[in-house]
Amino acid sequence: MKLINYLILRITLFFTVVLLLWSGVYFILQMKEIHDGNDEGLTNLKQEFVLKANKIPHFVENMERNAPLNLIVKEISRKEAETIIENFNTTKIYFPTELEKEEVRMLTSAFHCTMNDKYYQIQFFTSTVESDDLLKNLLYLLLGLWIVLITTIFFVSRAILSQANKPFFSLLKNLKDFRLDSSKMIDFPETRIEEYVQLNEAVKELLDKNISVFTEQKQFIENISHELQTPLAIAVSKLEMLLEKHQTDKEQANEISVVLITLNRMKRLNINLLLLSKIRNRQFPAVSQVDLRKVLETVLADFEEIAEYKEITIETAGDTSLSLQMNEDLAQILFTNLVKNAITHNINGGKILLAYAENAITISNSGNAAITDIFNRYKSEKSSGIGLSIVKSIANLYGIKISYRFENDLHIFELKLK
Amino acid sequence: MKILIIEDEYALLQTIEAFLLQEKFVVEKAADYNSACEKALIYDYDCILLDITLPGGNGLKILEEMKREGKVGNVIIISARNSLDDKIAGLDLGADDYLTKPFHLSELYARIKAVLRRKNLDNSLTQTFGNSIVYFKERSLLVNGENLKLNRKEFDMLGFFVTNRNRLVTKESLAEHVWGDNIDLADNFDFVYSQVKNLRKKLKTANSDIVIENIYGIGYKMTI
Repeated sequence: MKLINYLILRITLFFTVVLLLWSGVYFILQMKEIHDGNDEGLTNLKQEFVLKANKIPHFVENMERNAPLNLIVKEISRKEAETIIENFNTTKIYFPTELEKEEVRMLTSAFHCTMNDKYYQIQFFTSTVESDDLLKNLLYLLLGLWIVLITTIFFVSRAILSQANKPFFSLLKNLKDFRLDSSKMIDFPETRIEEYVQLNEAVKELLDKNISVFTEQKQFIENISHELQTPLAIAVSKLEMLLEKHQTDKEQANEISVVLITLNRMKRLNINLLLLSKIRNRQFPAVSQVDLRKVLETVLADFEEIAEYKEITIETAGDTSLSLQMNEDLAQILFTNLVKNAITHNINGGKILLAYAENAITISNSGNAAITDIFNRYKSEKSSGIGLSIVKSIANLYGIKISYRFENDLHIFELKLK
Repeated sequence: MKILIIEDEYALLQTIEAFLLQEKFVVEKAADYNSACEKALIYDYDCILLDITLPGGNGLKILEEMKREGKVGNVIIISARNSLDDKIAGLDLGADDYLTKPFHLSELYARIKAVLRRKNLDNSLTQTFGNSIVYFKERSLLVNGENLKLNRKEFDMLGFFVTNRNRLVTKESLAEHVWGDNIDLADNFDFVYSQVKNLRKKLKTANSDIVIENIYGIGYKMTI
């Protein structure tokens, strides 16, 4: 859920509740006010009636006979009269003119007429505002108000929030594009909002720290790799001298040879590690337009004898020539590793298929079952597995999309140029 | 043949010296920038092995100095930095070759001999072994006056054996010399074995006096 929608939804809910409460209170107060007015009028009417009844002879009898529209007079006993307490209530009375029952406010009371010494119950009523109607009208008004309010809130808060959050979204976008290995600090949006200023500062500090740790680490790997070369050189040369001396002793010679082979493996690992580190540090600045097809064919020629020895047939399809602006040595390293991989993980009598298409080169080889996460296969029985990491790094450097899949018993590597 | 080793790592310096003394070279040593610069500029050497990272200065500076003084040193750079920039800079400054540490002694020797051969300093462009004559410049082999056809890789192997004759050549150093650093396939030993077998067969069929001995499973040795 977007922040803006989240906020608007909350505000809307809040205002709905407030409006509902407010209109409830308003409704109750309004009805009370109306009834108070009515009741006052009814009281005046009653007082006037009682005054006249006690002054004018036969007033009550006349009234009883004439039965005016707003009055019901009924003679009652004294006992009954004593039980009646003056009260107001809202009730419904049938109006012949209206042909229906109407809501009225009614005052019920009793009085003693001194003229004829009789007790009467009197009921005055007056038509009043229909509470249903009032409620209905109030609801319409409320709905209108609610719609206007919510629409206003929606647009205004949207405008304000998106304006106020501009630095935030711009920072977010820059952060998305941030790449640790490029070691380039992102641009921070200008803002006067304190929280965003603090956010900018916090992010900057975090990135600065990360970049420096990353750079240090890269440098460290490179330095260590370099430093390892010299001790390795000493060990290798000393052992070779020793081997030369003890070559007549088969057992000793074999032992020394095993150590030499191990050191050689270490050397390769070290060289590849160094290479990987250099590629990731972008230390191959020289670029030129490189004919990839030509490079791949040269690499294949280097591996010709080995392919022949393993009885691997190499087939080529497509005659497109592809070229890319890149470092030539890296192009060679890229294909060397891919071809080496295609040969190493092949089977005797297998095949390698090369397909050149518009903007894509596919290298497929026969071999045993599929391997998941092939680009991180650091260890296998046949190789250090660092080769494909190098391939991936070079591809990343030049925006080549490399993908791997296992299909029809073929390991397929596809290089897609942009 | 007089050779100057410029290398600050004492253990390595010592080993290279011992190795080259075996090969009847006259060896001079320098372990820091100043003494190296002095020796390289005052004396003449048939070959100089130059380490780039030296106490007191960069080895490439020595090359610059030599170039300015018009000194020809037949320099082979031996460096721990497998850096292309250094390589290009070194070769631009007149170095003859660039070898990355760690290296096989047989490879170092082959590189030295190649430099000397290129400058024809040790008259080894043509070498005769009994009935067989190896022509390095023409990259060909005559056996009993007949040209024995060898492909590029086969001649590379033969050249490496000939240069390192009477010395044990390990399979790895041979593979690296002929197929380059790329060949780090774990099953390359069988492959190298089969390639050497082919070469041997050719030599044997032609009745060449060049014999490539198998030393256990470790490597080979060329004898006459």
